[in-house]
Amino acid sequence: MRKILLVIQREYLTRVKKKSFWILTLIVPILLVSLYAIPIYLATNSLEVTHVAVVDETGLYNDFHSSDDIVYHYMDSFDTASVGNSDTVDVMLYIPRPRSGVVPTETFVYFKNDAPSPSVKSDMDRQCQDMLRNNILLDVYNINREDYDQIKNTSVKLHVQDLDTGESDFSGMKMAIGLVLSLLIYMAIFMFGTQVMRGVMEEKTNRIVEVLVSSLKPFQLMMGKVVGVALVGLTQFTLWIVLSGSIITAFTIANADTFDRARQQEQIQMLHSRGVSAEQLSSEMPNTDMQTEMVQGLLHIQYGTIAIAFLIFFILGYLLYSTLFAAVGAITESEQDNSQFVLPLTVPLLLVIILTPTLIEAPSGSLAMWLSMIPFTSPVAMMVRVPFGVPIWQIAASVGILLLTIIIAVWVAAKIYRTGILLYGKKITYKELWKWLRFKN
Amino acid sequence: MEILVTEHVEKNYSGHRALTDVSVSAAEGRVLGLLGPNGAGKTTLIRIINLITAPDQGKVFFCGEPLKAKHIEHIGYLPEERGLYKKMKVGEQAMYLARLKGLSKNDAEQRLRQWFKRFEIDGWWNKKVEELSKGMQQKVQFIVTVLHEPRLLIFDEPFSGFDPINANLLKEEILRLKNNGATVIFSTHNMASVEEICDDIVLINKSKVVLSGRVNDIKNSFRKNIFDVRCHKTDEEITFADGISVLSQTADELNTFLKIKIDNTLSPNDLLRSLVDRVDVLSFQEVLPSMNEIFIETVTSNNQSQTAEKEEGI
Repeated sequence: MRKILLVIQREYLTRVKKKSFWILTLIVPILLVSLYAIPIYLATNSLEVTHVAVVDETGLYNDFHSSDDIVYHYMDSFDTASVGNSDTVDVMLYIPRPRSGVVPTETFVYFKNDAPSPSVKSDMDRQCQDMLRNNILLDVYNINREDYDQIKNTSVKLHVQDLDTGESDFSGMKMAIGLVLSLLIYMAIFMFGTQVMRGVMEEKTNRIVEVLVSSLKPFQLMMGKVVGVALVGLTQFTLWIVLSGSIITAFTIANADTFDRARQQEQIQMLHSRGVSAEQLSSEMPNTDMQTEMVQGLLHIQYGTIAIAFLIFFILGYLLYSTLFAAVGAITESEQDNSQFVLPLTVPLLLVIILTPTLIEAPSGSLAMWLSMIPFTSPVAMMVRVPFGVPIWQIAASVGILLLTIIIAVWVAAKIYRTGILLYGKKITYKELWKWLRFKN
Repeated sequence: MEILVTEHVEKNYSGHRALTDVSVSAAEGRVLGLLGPNGAGKTTLIRIINLITAPDQGKVFFCGEPLKAKHIEHIGYLPEERGLYKKMKVGEQAMYLARLKGLSKNDAEQRLRQWFKRFEIDGWWNKKVEELSKGMQQKVQFIVTVLHEPRLLIFDEPFSGFDPINANLLKEEILRLKNNGATVIFSTHNMASVEEICDDIVLINKSKVVLSGRVNDIKNSFRKNIFDVRCHKTDEEITFADGISVLSQTADELNTFLKIKIDNTLSPNDLLRSLVDRVDVLSFQEVLPSMNEIFIETVTSNNQSQTAEKEEGI
């Protein structure tokens, strides 16, 4: 036991001391935080205001609506000099009188310094078209603007809610989180699993193992490495969670307004679920914009449960794969000739990653359910499902199957490892491996 | 006392036999040379002694007790194929290996510092292993092997890759350890070192022990009654009566050198008597076979007899 601890200590310290460990530790929280920050940024980014000066010689385009970030000012005449000198006008929109009696469809946009952003251009474009269309509707078809607006703005909004809890489902956010988590656990299992494999190969090809096996049993060496690397992984995750958590908390405080808005939205919806009538609701509820809804979704995810599930399935998935990777490392001497053994190990992981878009469409469907029971795919498949909520018995069954498979995998890997690490210059086949497994020792 | 005894050890690998009925014993305070051609089964035997693999049949005893895991801390093993973690620091790595042998942190550090000083590598404690020359890495490996002061030391091809200076240092260290009471088993292809270091030998060929015993006894049993004689220069071609034949006669400006073989019935004194009548004898010495010759002769004749047996069998 003391020896296995020494091995764990060595495996852990040599890896944690590496620069690459710390680089990865910093990169992932930055990625996670940017995922979190984008909706907030979108919701709050109305600070840049573009002022558009409109010179309309036709009189048709007389109804530009200013928004938070695009403000339209009507001007009487086309005067580049006044625009050029003005600090407040960024863009000038000029609509000249058409030459003959045709419909005026030519518009000109002038800018200084920065070209108008795509959103400003599309806003001008859309509003121009609206106004033109309204005029045509009125003149030709005799439909007035209010009628048209009413027809055009008719929309249906789905408010999806859980009958028991009254919670909205925010499936979009859950999908995003499921995708990110499944990708993360896939990469983590693969990354740390291959680290174990490389470590074993290093010991074998450098013949360190010859020196070591006289001091301790191959099994101790293998499990020491597996556990040591697992601790490296857990350290990395802890650092990721702490770092991302503190950045996100800082972010939340800095953007308190946005979150307040999201919370208010939440309260209104809760009122509704307690039996407020639809008319009351529609009058109470301001038009929810998509960004606010996303922020609301962020507030709604059960981070604790997801983090625990992630840790459990990472540890189990890692144990399963890393012991098998250790066995592969023990029977190969170079990265080139181990593909015949590595490939079968990566296929189930790759398969489930390819299937995630399908799984996420039906996180409680039978495919998702079966993939989250098969031990070689369950860690990734479960991560897709967890944000949507998985019945406890399914999680228990999945964990149980995984544990059982791990025990078998450790037994198989230990047998292969023990024989493999001291064997050089011999190409090992599956037939040979089968012989080792049946060989009693 | 016998530190290590193997009795009728057999080991089979899928498809071939590595050891057949191998009985070997290593006496306390002596150096046992384990000789044999490549693939004879030496490394397998060493691995069995180190509990790295188990024999299919037969028993191994350490100080009279059946060999168990608890004895491993009394054994120091320097494998033939040996390596170190390249990216680790020398001191850190030596500490790790020493502590795996059961030494406490303080003990390990104290002893390592002493040994590093002895081997003049104390400046390398904080260097990475990959910065060390091969010879220095081997010094580190040797230190780690003997650091826990085991009663039995096993060196598998210790001299391979050592330059003459380091090889000599190693030889002296092995003899010093022996004088301090350690028992040494060492396998080598370097027959000169066998003659210098070994007290006893075991020669394994094709999985079987074909020769074993004290080096001196073996050498005596392989003597061929051949003598080197140096005498004053003579132009005459020397010949003798029956029973004494001159194998070769050479000369330089002052001396004539004779290589003479005598029959078993004759004694060296008989030869001397015949010689003094004919030439002025300046020196007279029996030619004892070198270990190299004994090795080659034994292995070749063993292989031939095995082939003959096989052919008879057909």
